[in-house]
Amino acid sequence: MNRKSLIDRLLQWETLLAIIFVVVVLINISLSPFYLSLQNQVNLFHLSIEKIIVALVMTLIIINAEIDLSVASIMGLAACVFAFVWDDGFTLGTAISAALLVGALAGAINGFFVAYVGLPSLVVTLAGLIAYRGLARVLVEDRSIGDFPEGFDALGQDPLFGPLTFGIILFFIGLAIMIVVLQRSGFGRKTYVVGNSIEVAEYSGVNAKRLKMILFILSGLVSAIAGILIAARLGAVRGSTAEGFELDIITMVLLGGVSIFGGSGTLTGVGLAILIILNMRNGMSLANVSGNAQTGVIGLLLILSVLVPNLLQWVQTKLNDPRTSGQT
Amino acid sequence: MFSRQISLISTLLLFSWLVTGCAFLDTDVDVRADQSEENPVVIEEISIDIATDQIDQSNENDRNKITQNVTGDEAFNAVLLPKFMGISVFDKANEGAADAARSLRQPFPAFVGPTSSNSTQGQIEILNDAVTHGYDAVLISNNGGDEISAAAQAATEAGVTVITWDSPIPSAVGESVFVAQVDFDETGLVMAEMAHNILDGRGQIAILSAGRDAANQNAWIAAMETVLINDPKYQELEIVDTAYGNDNFSISYSTAINLANNYPDLDLIMAPTTVGIQAAAQAMQDEGLCQTVKTSGLGLPDEMVPHMIEGCVPQFALWSFNDLGYLAYYLAYHLTVGNIEPEVGETFFAGRLGRFTIEEDPTREQGLRVLMGSFTIYKEQDLLWQ
Repeated sequence: MNRKSLIDRLLQWETLLAIIFVVVVLINISLSPFYLSLQNQVNLFHLSIEKIIVALVMTLIIINAEIDLSVASIMGLAACVFAFVWDDGFTLGTAISAALLVGALAGAINGFFVAYVGLPSLVVTLAGLIAYRGLARVLVEDRSIGDFPEGFDALGQDPLFGPLTFGIILFFIGLAIMIVVLQRSGFGRKTYVVGNSIEVAEYSGVNAKRLKMILFILSGLVSAIAGILIAARLGAVRGSTAEGFELDIITMVLLGGVSIFGGSGTLTGVGLAILIILNMRNGMSLANVSGNAQTGVIGLLLILSVLVPNLLQWVQTKLNDPRTSGQT
Repeated sequence: MFSRQISLISTLLLFSWLVTGCAFLDTDVDVRADQSEENPVVIEEISIDIATDQIDQSNENDRNKITQNVTGDEAFNAVLLPKFMGISVFDKANEGAADAARSLRQPFPAFVGPTSSNSTQGQIEILNDAVTHGYDAVLISNNGGDEISAAAQAATEAGVTVITWDSPIPSAVGESVFVAQVDFDETGLVMAEMAHNILDGRGQIAILSAGRDAANQNAWIAAMETVLINDPKYQELEIVDTAYGNDNFSISYSTAINLANNYPDLDLIMAPTTVGIQAAAQAMQDEGLCQTVKTSGLGLPDEMVPHMIEGCVPQFALWSFNDLGYLAYYLAYHLTVGNIEPEVGETFFAGRLGRFTIEEDPTREQGLRVLMGSFTIYKEQDLLWQ
């Protein structure tokens, strides 16, 4: 009994992610003497902070058996709305509120079509990806808007607490909240149940539509926060800001072992996947591996993340099969 | 029991494959990078090895010493950061920078770039990592606008020399000096003049540019428009449209065909990008339109000569990207070593290219530049001579 649970535990996705993570760290240490420096470790989070913040809420969306492809476009749109309003002479507070409002609204539009009209989220959010990006481009045209107040830029660029920037602190607070919500609250349990089977969920009195609506609004709102963060980090915004981020975000979540069919996955896994991807990219970058090769490696990793869980399941069924275990 | 062990081992094997797979990918890239360096002389390779050893040791002692006091003995480590990888002009710039490194007896610059889909964010990451890595200088061809400023500023504050080449940081914040390949206003004039020659002074022109955001492309197009409006010589030349091919061959190819279809009276496609001009020339050639719609712009001789022979591209212009990389490397070296300061009037010697002076950049509100030189215009007539 003991031995079996040990094997089961070893075959768990999170354990394997942890092993990969350790291996990546060891390789990085051998590749570069600068890898372990505190500045580099902070940088590693700082440079991708917007993506990993959005990955948290994407985890909930995918567990709920939906997907949101429009997150990066909402990030861009929110950043552009923020810059546009600020550029028009309004206060910083107004600009930030406008950006957050637009983000939540964009999420609500996605949510309405998915939850209440019943269209597949893949289609709805693909349309969102194109439309919100288009809006952002219309808003700022070919310009780049910058010259934000210094305090605002500093919030995105300079350390706030010890070596940690505001964004990094926000990420860890978000992670803690999401872990509590997903693994300790009724809302989290409902998210899993709806993700597993929407019929079963509705039959047992869960308001699946409202749940989906809330998730998409949350996704839009968090994307807008990430958009404002990227505006602060770069100090300038243009129509193409955050373009293409959605694939990196979804990669992190899927590698974390969240099933693309919904119903299963943990934030521990996603957290480990984030650590692996960030460290891997950082290591390759320090070793001067070009962007094209980096993309290839991350792609390979994602393919494995889809293949291996299925393989593991097959192995586990074999192990638990009474015919084979009876022989031991 | 036996089957359990086998399954466990095979799973672990799969992961070791993943890990070693990544390691192999790394070495693959390294090997290719080494081969592209045109087999340096053996003696120089040795000196490079020694130089790298030195910087490793001195890193542990004191990094500042190197940046303040690099002599011929101490290594100058630079990163050449192109807009993105896989574009031949940037490879040529890298060859030029490697030439400069060879003549200065320095280690070859690292040539690292993002993918085209991730260019702005990727450039920022590479710039940040270059600081972490302890490089002395970063030589950037900026693909975005001012988004890279904050990272460039941080790098400068950390003691890294940041210069731009090919495409500057518009606000010049975070950038020390920009190495301009040609005067941006002259580009407009050269394009107008080529159009004038090809069309005998009269006709419709469509512009096929790279990306909407590319600072250098936009400046050249604006300069050309200004020339056409202000100089009566060009009054019968008309720009009917400006389209974008994102420096992607297939997008540029179909954009060129769309232009020819949308404007039946179109006489010339002017592409101020080496990818765009090649795609447009190929498209017109494939469509059999070369006699009615000519192509011109900025192109690489190797790529354009076949189209010139077919009569599709009567004239095109370009500067040497090899020289551009070479000059950028020399400038970064002299700035880092402390031979010159980033100030107007400072002069420096750049090997085979001669002497250059830092001046104010007239094409931007603020910023310094070093102007490399003027265009080479390639004409059909010259080709027949050869």
